[in-house]
Amino acid sequence: MRLNVSLIIGAILTFCAISIAVVSTFWLPYNPNLPNIPNRLLAAGSAEHWLGTDVLGRDIISQLMVGARTSIVVGAGGATISLVLGAIMGLIAAASGKIVDETISRVADIMLSIPGMVTALVLAATLGSGALTTIFALTAFFTPSFTRVARSAALSVLQEDFITAAQLYGRGRMPRVARHVFPNIAGVLIVQFTLYFAAGILTEAGLSYLGVGVTRPGISWGLMLSEAQNQVGVSSPLAMWPGLSIVIVVLGLNLMGDGLRDVLDPKLSKSIL
Amino acid sequence: MTDSAMDVRDLFVGNGDLQAVRGVSFSIPVGGRMGLVGESGSGKTLTALAMMGLLPVGWSTEGRILHDGVDLSCQSDSQLSRRRGRTISMVFQDPLTALDPVRRVGHQIISLIRRHSDAGKAEATEQAKALFRQMNLPRPAQMLRAYPHQLSGGQRQRIMIAIALACYPQLIIADEPTTALDTTVQKQVLRTLDVAVRERGTALLMITHNLPIIAAICDTVAVMYAGRIVEAGPVAEVFSKPRHPYTMGLLRSQPTMDNIALDGSSRLPSIRGTVPPLQDLAIGCAFQPRCEFATDKCRLETPKVIEGLSCWHPIVLDAEE
Amino acid sequence: MTGILELRGVSQAYRLGRRSPFVTASYLQVLSNVDFAVRTGQAVGLVGESGAGKTTMTRILTGLERPQTGQVLFDGKDLWEMNAVERLEFRRNLGVVMQNPRSSLDPRMPVGSSLLEPLRSLGIDCDHVARVNEVIEQVGMASSVLGRYPHEFSGGQLQRIAIARALMTRPIVLIADEPVSALDVSIQAQVLNLLMDLVTDLNLALMLVAHDLSVVAYATSRVSVLAAGEIVETGQPLELFSRPKSKATQDLVAAVLTMEAGLAGRGLD
Repeated sequence: MRLNVSLIIGAILTFCAISIAVVSTFWLPYNPNLPNIPNRLLAAGSAEHWLGTDVLGRDIISQLMVGARTSIVVGAGGATISLVLGAIMGLIAAASGKIVDETISRVADIMLSIPGMVTALVLAATLGSGALTTIFALTAFFTPSFTRVARSAALSVLQEDFITAAQLYGRGRMPRVARHVFPNIAGVLIVQFTLYFAAGILTEAGLSYLGVGVTRPGISWGLMLSEAQNQVGVSSPLAMWPGLSIVIVVLGLNLMGDGLRDVLDPKLSKSIL
Repeated sequence: MTDSAMDVRDLFVGNGDLQAVRGVSFSIPVGGRMGLVGESGSGKTLTALAMMGLLPVGWSTEGRILHDGVDLSCQSDSQLSRRRGRTISMVFQDPLTALDPVRRVGHQIISLIRRHSDAGKAEATEQAKALFRQMNLPRPAQMLRAYPHQLSGGQRQRIMIAIALACYPQLIIADEPTTALDTTVQKQVLRTLDVAVRERGTALLMITHNLPIIAAICDTVAVMYAGRIVEAGPVAEVFSKPRHPYTMGLLRSQPTMDNIALDGSSRLPSIRGTVPPLQDLAIGCAFQPRCEFATDKCRLETPKVIEGLSCWHPIVLDAEE
Repeated sequence: MTGILELRGVSQAYRLGRRSPFVTASYLQVLSNVDFAVRTGQAVGLVGESGAGKTTMTRILTGLERPQTGQVLFDGKDLWEMNAVERLEFRRNLGVVMQNPRSSLDPRMPVGSSLLEPLRSLGIDCDHVARVNEVIEQVGMASSVLGRYPHEFSGGQLQRIAIARALMTRPIVLIADEPVSALDVSIQAQVLNLLMDLVTDLNLALMLVAHDLSVVAYATSRVSVLAAGEIVETGQPLELFSRPKSKATQDLVAAVLTMEAGLAGRGLD
């Protein structure tokens, strides 16, 4: 297989982010929520706090590490649930008759027409804000997209002759979908998953920034951004660290998605002849 | 050299390490009709695309493509695009994908005429109608207002031919122009193409794997295998007295109304093996693994092209076989 | 006129579009009153232009589509009145080869698994591995190919594998829909010869659908011409094509390009 640069870079960045998130569960340099007023607004590069401290003297590195965990849990959680639900709904829609297909497709259309922020605000207002609510919100607006992608990919596979062949040797409709359709659309779904993982991280940051996502004592990069906002004139690196983290992780996931797209598509891995 | 519509010399087309066309030379005289026969992967389509300057990204050429007094392989994209449709044009296999689906066919042909000449709109429309009439398309005025999807496959291909002929090019390249059509339509379209090309003195390069089409429409033929021309010459000669084992295999293995055996037990002699992928071509003669006459020499040395033939062991057929 | 697989008075029409409930629906008559039979040990051909109804006829013969009127008989029994056991028996006895070999094998399955599918799905009790090896040899390939994936093969090889899959359940009827039209010219004869040998060796009933008269004339001993949903003529191929009676057959024959005429300079007359 050809060396795929974007896949490798993307996978390394993603792996680093996940490792940091895992480490944060059992080890942190400091308690990220413990104020330390004497050390407030330390600049980056101090011996004790490498990236400095925020306005209450809380360690930036510790906060970033917990933020990575939040981002990944929320992003991956939202994308995974949406992937599973969307794949099931999409496959059912593609393989069933017109009525089921129309129903699922129209419901997906309606859900896509509701702005994601509105869903998130309503959920936050009714369930209270937090990581779990954010995952629900992500699921609500990613599932219809996954449904659409899975449905259209499945429809094109269902056109293939090997599906007719399976029908001829007596495989029922759902066994055909499970044996032949799903493995053939899995690649597309995996690519889609990495892209929505990234979109989930961005959305989570946006929601937390607005105060309807993760709140203290939880920590999220979006929350850090919003707290840093008040200090922009005083200490701009405070906003830079979470921003940079978001950029790196999202970039990593997108690169990985692009790389996977090339690797997983058997048509692209063949020569043009 | 001025009497040839197209003169290809030692053409190589490759993508990185992959050489798809490996030293092809041929020449089509003004008004001449040449057939290029080959199977998938033989490099026949890439040869045509190289001549049109339409190679996919990543592919490059070596060698000379002399046409209209210039070497097309040295021309810039913009020079080539001014030339395409004017001095050299192409008819593709699938007219549905070759025509713009959101524009009326009339618009497509009229804008081409106007781009390459100083004809006004009314004049170009008249020219387009005349072309459609010549293509035996019914009700040309209405046909001009149709969208591609409203037409039948045969009509679309006639329109493609009309577009290709619109600016009186010196050469038309037709790549499998009738493969996607029904057999009954195929002959009519070929007849239209034949007449139109003959009347204008346009040279024709017909690319196909269908030997009877070549026999019906071409004067000369070149047989390609794995990126090389293995046999070339006048159609009558090559098809009645093939010298290359591959040509003979093709002629004998294709069921045609001429060679069908009467009793059900006899079998056509087939060529053994499969068309080799470009990545692992045999050393020596590329056809050697499938050739029944292959010897050690064939396995070591690539045969030179002598009198249009590239084979160490040409077949000598008696006059009356 | 009895055969192992038969159509009797089969008609099929598709509803066109969905109009308002106040307008009577219009129908497209695809097949009208078709009689057709496939006999054991014999290859029969079906020719016709695209749109003549060849695909619909194949779908009805293979039980993929139920005709509006008429009967599909397998071994004398109506396909659509069979019980589960008879239906299973029908499926086991039917092999189908399709036009495009690239599309007819699952790209994500090694070809060996694809070959096993019919056995598993139809619950056939035998030594599966031995059967796969036997059949792959029957189509002229080595058993070393079984672990490989479809994209590693050429079109001709894939068509052999597709034929092997059709043979796995030891069918008595083989339906081949344009089996060589997507193949390279130098490969077509190989695949046709293979199909013809199988008919003789396994005493199969073969139905060969093609648009190319030469292919049908070469490989079959009886041909039906389908035009606008009707069988207009049936007969021994060379006789039929040398003295075509119906307009549709005459058109088909007139459209054939022959080498002889081409070389004599009247290829397009």
